[in-house]
Amino acid sequence: MSAVPIVVQDFSAPTADQPVERPRAGRPLICENLFFRYHRKTDWVINDFSHPFRPGITLIKGASGCGKSTLLRILAGYLTPGKGRILTPAGLKPTNVDFQRRDLGFVFQQLNLLPLATVARNLQMAGTLAGLSQKDTLERTERWLALLGLRDFADRRPAVLSGGQQQRAAIARALIKEPSVLLLDEPTSGLDDLNTQVICNTLRQYVVGPRVCVICTHDHRLDFIAHEVLDFNRFLPLEGHLVALAGTAE
Amino acid sequence: MFVGSLLVTVATVILVAFNLLERNLRTRLEQFGVNTIVSREVVTSTDPSALPNQIRPDRLAPLDQYGEKIRLRQLYSRARVPWQREITTMAYTDEALPLLSGLMHTNTSLIIFSESMPENALVEVHLDRQDGVAVVRRPHGFFRPVVNQTVLLVPQGWSPDAERIGYVEMVVFRRTTEQLSISHFVSAIQNLFSMEEKNPPQVQSAVGMIKELESLQSRQAQWRSAMAGLLGLAVALVFGAIAVLEFRQNAYVSALLRSFGAPGKSLYIRQWLENAVLANLAAVSALLLLACFHKELFGALGFPGDLLNLNNINPYFSWEIALVLLWVNVGAFLSSLSVAIGLKKPVGEILS
Repeated sequence: MSAVPIVVQDFSAPTADQPVERPRAGRPLICENLFFRYHRKTDWVINDFSHPFRPGITLIKGASGCGKSTLLRILAGYLTPGKGRILTPAGLKPTNVDFQRRDLGFVFQQLNLLPLATVARNLQMAGTLAGLSQKDTLERTERWLALLGLRDFADRRPAVLSGGQQQRAAIARALIKEPSVLLLDEPTSGLDDLNTQVICNTLRQYVVGPRVCVICTHDHRLDFIAHEVLDFNRFLPLEGHLVALAGTAE
Repeated sequence: MFVGSLLVTVATVILVAFNLLERNLRTRLEQFGVNTIVSREVVTSTDPSALPNQIRPDRLAPLDQYGEKIRLRQLYSRARVPWQREITTMAYTDEALPLLSGLMHTNTSLIIFSESMPENALVEVHLDRQDGVAVVRRPHGFFRPVVNQTVLLVPQGWSPDAERIGYVEMVVFRRTTEQLSISHFVSAIQNLFSMEEKNPPQVQSAVGMIKELESLQSRQAQWRSAMAGLLGLAVALVFGAIAVLEFRQNAYVSALLRSFGAPGKSLYIRQWLENAVLANLAAVSALLLLACFHKELFGALGFPGDLLNLNNINPYFSWEIALVLLWVNVGAFLSSLSVAIGLKKPVGEILS
């Protein structure tokens, strides 16, 4: 089993030798006046949200139920907003199949690794669907499994991996097509510091140039890699009630 | 699987039963002969022509130009042989001698037609107060239609006591020309008797059996269609049920593939093709398997292995099979509908 290159990190603040880079030049992922609700009779989950997600890493933070994951799925084109529009850096709608195939990497909160396929096969399937050649698919599979410390688990099925390994496998699957837009839903929830650090390092190395990365998270350990942090609590309908409950508990 | 096997078994039993009935009828028809007409007239003891040495007038003589015939008298008395208690006895007239000449033994004019007794054996027979020896022959030709069991043939007047109490005069007519149809032939016999103010005789011809065979074949075709339809419908429903059970799984996998940018149309076509290929392969394999092992299957169900004569009818290349295959494909289509429904839902509502 190969050793995973780990640097133990103090998550409290960015360090001098690992400064957070400023967002670089490049076209953003634009949201304009987004409205979304799951059913007609319910309230808007997202109510008039506009924001340009510039190249770099953007963290969306907020309490559970505030609509972070919903926004991420709208950005990916997996949900259709009731009103408003989204433009990808290439100027396409996110529902565009070519965007989803080649330019979008998405890591679900539930990971959604194919349970009967090996880790390598999960990556290869994503590569093949992205239109990569067989040679490129195999080469990239090898590379991303190595970078995320999963080379020795390539032939195992997801069920036999630990939570951290599964999380890394899901990220490797999203990165195999080396997308220009990377969306991650709670990529480090429930993970130990070591696994979190591996993921942080990978994302910092990957999100360079015009690449856009949006991460939904509660995890403060990711703050140090963020170029921008977005507070999403304003969409939480029960916020006042929750604050009151928190005060009572104290 | 269980429902399918059950239906196939029920269908097999029903169709085999029909096949057995049809085979039995065909055998009877072949034995009787398509061109054979048998007329039976009851002659009572009061009829002067019932006397043993009396030659009865031949009322069917006008029909001689249309074929050949033999006249026999079925006696009410039954003969006995040493190991069989009673056998039917018939008396033949001198007119029949040309037809019987090849069957007679040099030592006796008595003949026993039997399928079970050893052929050419000489057997002692006893009828009323007469004893004699008869030669055993296999029934064929003219005698096939009237000999369903062992029959003793004696010359007219050999047992006068038996003939005196009355008999059934039987005329076996074999049509040799198609100038007169069987139904017209039957009508002609009845008309000839009416002209002489006699009660019409009982006439037996192949027409009834042919009608019965046609009716049986028609019912068989109806049952085959119904069973094929039912079986196909069951297969389609099973496919539909499987599709319902696998709906969530199919929807999940499709959503995951769509999240990677796989087009919905391709996913649906792939699923439909996969279902259709698998279902058709399974159906054809089952058919080939049945074709290879139907003898063993019939044997296990208690039917003769050679029941299905593929020269007469080949059920493996029939429109009923096409109907079942059609239903199989309807089932494959039904099972792919769940994927189509899943594809309508946004990826983000299925995957979390």
